Amino acid sequence: MIQVEGSLKARLAVWLVVTVSALGVLLLVEAYFSSQRAAERAYDSQLEAAALTIAEAVQWEAGQPVVEIPSAALQILATRHQERVFYAVLDADGQAISGNLNMAIPREWQRQVTLQPTWFSETHRGTPWRLHGRELDSAGWETQDPVQIWVGHTMSGRDALAEALFEQAVTRFVIMVLVAGILMLLAMRVALAPMRRLRHQLRQRDADDMRPLDTRVPEEMREMAETLDSLFTRQRESRDALLRFTADASHQLKTPLAGLQATSELALQSEHPETWRQALADVHDSAGRTSRLAGQLLSLARLRHAEEEGTATRLDAVSLLRETAFDWAQRDAAQGHDIGLAALPESPQYICGEDWALRELLGNLIDNALRYTPPGSVITLGAVRHAQTLEWYIEDDGPGVSAEVMARLHRPFERGGRQDTEGSGLGLAIVDSIVRRHAARMQVESAEKGGLRVRLLFPCLTRHEEG
Amino acid sequence: MSIRRVVLAWLLGALAPSLAWADNPLIVEAALDREVAAPLLDAFEAAYPHIQLTFRDRSTLEVDARIADTNDPPDVVISSAMPWQMARVNEGYARRLDSSAAREWPAWAKWRNEVFGFTFEPIVMAYRLDLARHMLPPTTHADLHTLLTQQRGTLRDKVTTYSPVRSGIGYTLFQQDARYTTRFWDLVAAMGAADANLEANTRSMLEGLSEGRYWLGYNLLGSYAMHWAQSHPEVFVQVPQDYSLVMMRMAFIHRDAPHPAAARAFLDFLLGREGQRVIAGETPLFSVRSDVVGPYTAQRLRDQVGERLYPIPLNASLLAFVDPSRRAAFMDRWQREFRRLSHPAPAPSAAATEPRIDKRAQR
Repeated sequence: MIQVEGSLKARLAVWLVVTVSALGVLLLVEAYFSSQRAAERAYDSQLEAAALTIAEAVQWEAGQPVVEIPSAALQILATRHQERVFYAVLDADGQAISGNLNMAIPREWQRQVTLQPTWFSETHRGTPWRLHGRELDSAGWETQDPVQIWVGHTMSGRDALAEALFEQAVTRFVIMVLVAGILMLLAMRVALAPMRRLRHQLRQRDADDMRPLDTRVPEEMREMAETLDSLFTRQRESRDALLRFTADASHQLKTPLAGLQATSELALQSEHPETWRQALADVHDSAGRTSRLAGQLLSLARLRHAEEEGTATRLDAVSLLRETAFDWAQRDAAQGHDIGLAALPESPQYICGEDWALRELLGNLIDNALRYTPPGSVITLGAVRHAQTLEWYIEDDGPGVSAEVMARLHRPFERGGRQDTEGSGLGLAIVDSIVRRHAARMQVESAEKGGLRVRLLFPCLTRHEEG
Repeated sequence: MSIRRVVLAWLLGALAPSLAWADNPLIVEAALDREVAAPLLDAFEAAYPHIQLTFRDRSTLEVDARIADTNDPPDVVISSAMPWQMARVNEGYARRLDSSAAREWPAWAKWRNEVFGFTFEPIVMAYRLDLARHMLPPTTHADLHTLLTQQRGTLRDKVTTYSPVRSGIGYTLFQQDARYTTRFWDLVAAMGAADANLEANTRSMLEGLSEGRYWLGYNLLGSYAMHWAQSHPEVFVQVPQDYSLVMMRMAFIHRDAPHPAAARAFLDFLLGREGQRVIAGETPLFSVRSDVVGPYTAQRLRDQVGERLYPIPLNASLLAFVDPSRRAAFMDRWQREFRRLSHPAPAPSAAATEPRIDKRAQR
């Protein structure tokens, strides 16, 4: 089930928006302060120019500093924003020689200005002002006292300039964001091109084309492409297995059917009822075997392809083993063998499983043991409780198989290198399927007495799960 | 809520302003002849019958003092003493006017959208018919200087001009004259040599001319002089042909105006088309607006005397004129120059025979 969760573009856009807004806030704060500073610098220098112009007009007459305020200085102060202006010329004692507005200059500021020209911000009668003071060393014939020149103006020009600068900064930023957004969209198109190419290639594939991908992908997509490749490989393998199984099954069914045909043909050519009878008996046996073979094929197919439909229940593994062993021991097929039970755990051992499947499993194992051991062999079934698992085992004292064959035993139509029996070679394959179904493990090993031992390890239900 | 009640509430809301205006007084303190301004005031009262206009015609000094009167501030202040008006605005006594009329007002005739020069009054010379019988009347400042130098005997005691000490306008005009050329001081010296009479206002000069005491007047307010000449045929008005200063009467709404709405209405009227039309048509104050037609408009004056009109700039540079030390220095120089030729060896103690009083009453 494919659930569409947003889009990569939306995701990238969200990231862009988040980072850009965070960055933007920082930038705008910076822009705000820098435009304030720029406006301040620009207008502070006008204050300085006005102060210098006034300084130029200061002269000494008869021991007194005299200043004839130049009109130009006032116009420089007013700026084109028509600020209200303030000026004052103070003598060495801080007394006003000239000035307007009666704005008192604090002593502290006057002291600072004696060191260097300084700018101050001040609120005078509810209006913010920017003041500038500088000291002028000028010498007359009689006295040589410094004179302080103070100028100031209101701040509307500064505010307007700062606002304009800030607006410019904001405009630049917005344009930058838009350009970045467009570039991001383009970059995304370029970056996602390999993905589109891959999608296109997959779409073009035939349904049964399981070859590995032949494409170029960037590093980031390598894992996905490899995963796809391995998916294709597994599909190919499973399809191959299916084809092999079908071919083998057909082959297996063909042999007895061909035998039936041959037997019945021979019988038809004969005139003797005795021969007919013999042929009928052969046909009966052969049909029985074929029917059993078909049954096994059916249950194998059912096990392999109906995995979701399992109806597992909690059941007692010990009693199931005992019942099945008794059941088989009474059958005709087992009369030549000695089927016995080893010592079983006394308490019931619960596992989670399907009753029919487990019976089928045990039946196949017993059937195998009967078929592949000579008559008179001893077949022993047992159950052992381990810490986490419950073990079933079945062992015989027959000829056993070589280690090389042992690894292949669970494959369909494998007869352990023996062609002398009536078995189909499906028994252990069915067992293997059932074992997988129950999340159990199967171990095939040589028994101590020389025969074969098959061990099945089922996960136990914990006490909590039992409860 | 019923519809009727909504309508009633709406009607009350709509009527409230006009109801409030019904007894809305407006106090205008003006250094502007009531006689000259009468048509303008009548037109305002006709346009705003709800506003009870109190127009107080005062001297510039009184007007300036009234501005600082925080107990009983006026609504609108009008004065021809441009530097003092400017100083008051700079001190923050004006209230900003945000109206379309204020915004459209030419930038050279306003400052901070707070104070507006709403008239355009040329500064002129005036002479009596007698002068023309004896000599060619002057048409330029240089002519005047030549005349004063060459006809010193004839013109002795017959020349009049503003006293810079007693008149703020006179002081402003001389300051502006002195800014243009240093030869102005030669003119002052020549006037001093001719024992020129210093008057406190244009009215006194015009009366002197009509009575025959004076033959020639320098730096008169053109508005008053032209108005006077209409009823006094013996007086002629001459707009100087080299340059003519132009004085603007400056009006602003007081920061603490008790009736700001009415004050705004008054100023909008002054600056608006209607008020300027009355100024152009019925007063000799000259309209500033170029879209107004009438005998008294700045445009028409320019057409008549050419581009030699030099309005006193309405900007921060005016503030320099009221600087006490600059004023003192200017006065010193004035006294020195005025006595230079008549008293070749000036005694320092006699430097100030005129009492130093700022801005004496002038009308």
